[in-house]
Amino acid sequence: MTQDMEKLYQERLNRYVTAMRNQKPDCVPLRPFLAEFTAKYAGYTCQEVTHDFRKAFDAVVKTASDFDWDAVVGNMVYVWSGLTEAIGLEYYGVPGIQIGKDVGFQYREPSEEKAFMKPNEYDQLIEDPTAFLFNVWLPRASKDVQAQGDSTSYRNNLSFLKGGMALLSYFSAFPGQGQRLRTECGMPGAIAGILKAPLDILGDKLRGYIGLCMDLIERPDKVLKACEALAPHLCHIAMTSSDPEKILPITVWMHRGCVPFISHEHFKNCYWATLKPILQELWSQGHQVLLYAEGNWNHHLESFAELPEGSIIYHVDQDDIVNVHKRLGHKFCLSGGLPNTLLSFGTEDQVRAECKRIIQTVAQDGGYIMDASAIVQNDAKIENIRAMTEATREYGQY
Amino acid sequence: MEEQNKEQPKPGVCIPWEEKSKELPKIQGDAELVQRVWEEVDELAYTYIWHLLVSF
Repeated sequence: MTQDMEKLYQERLNRYVTAMRNQKPDCVPLRPFLAEFTAKYAGYTCQEVTHDFRKAFDAVVKTASDFDWDAVVGNMVYVWSGLTEAIGLEYYGVPGIQIGKDVGFQYREPSEEKAFMKPNEYDQLIEDPTAFLFNVWLPRASKDVQAQGDSTSYRNNLSFLKGGMALLSYFSAFPGQGQRLRTECGMPGAIAGILKAPLDILGDKLRGYIGLCMDLIERPDKVLKACEALAPHLCHIAMTSSDPEKILPITVWMHRGCVPFISHEHFKNCYWATLKPILQELWSQGHQVLLYAEGNWNHHLESFAELPEGSIIYHVDQDDIVNVHKRLGHKFCLSGGLPNTLLSFGTEDQVRAECKRIIQTVAQDGGYIMDASAIVQNDAKIENIRAMTEATREYGQY
Repeated sequence: MEEQNKEQPKPGVCIPWEEKSKELPKIQGDAELVQRVWEEVDELAYTYIWHLLVSF
């Protein structure tokens, strides 16, 4: 049994890696990014998998055991709210606490006035980003952490102890989850290492989207300098959380750097100008990066085409996948493109037809990995995920 | 002012060894060991805050 699982693991890993390198494997690999869907399938609530990562791990193992896929993420419900609640982080809506127990966790961006970084604090961030995070950002993002100069508190002191221990506990559990998936399901991990673009971090966690847009107009030089100051740290975190064997890709979760969230000029001069060097550095160290391009990045495909051949995998969300294939397929592997709305509201026949269309139009020469457009939550129908799996195996043979 | 003039810590660093070592008496025995362990544990704090920002 163990030998069978290892054989299956090796077959799947080879298929997945071959496609990622933009080559043609024996068939189209499946690498679905499934978050709260796994809870639904395994019989858990969103609250259970978000608040107890062990249940989230179990849900992934159960799902990976029952479906013939080629790679999965050990826990796509990545934000463990046990940790975020323990340290008093303000910006999450946690299932069962701020939102319903069967709703996926939510990110709640503060209003412009309550942004975690003020518009006059750019110089402080630029001078020492790490100190800024500890001394300014965290006291505002956490209701337990006291600001520098304020009197300390029991909750403040506990926050750092509990937070550090919890992070260690959580991250230390992932290798065991990877081993379970390998030995119990013959399933490789899909990704290792996390990256976000400097401008996305500035918008998501520091200034907020509205504040950032104002800053891009009112103080563009400061925004650029802040992105340049953040970049080496984000690169370092990506590198230190990556696969040491350099097989699995680092993932950059791209949020709001595309037209129309920002202008084309801001994309080129700030978003791309500070993300591209990170991607180049990671590639020079031997790491492929999965560009998880959330939204529609059609206006920016020519920029991605500047990257070295094979250095990225481009994930298609709302772009026209046929167009993306024409413009990037000669250099990079593509993934995704199967609309989540179809998985949630379509029929099995519609899902099968769309899988067939995608495979026949963009996967004929290899270099394609089947996945939904965006992370799959608990609104997807189980029978449609099954239809996606079966159709890919049926139509995806080379 | 002294705070403002200090060199910006590099990625992976919260409190540079150069700053910490000024607080210590002359180290006897293996000084490199003391530096290495300081830097390894210091990086755990760095990992904590940056993963809070990026991953959570």
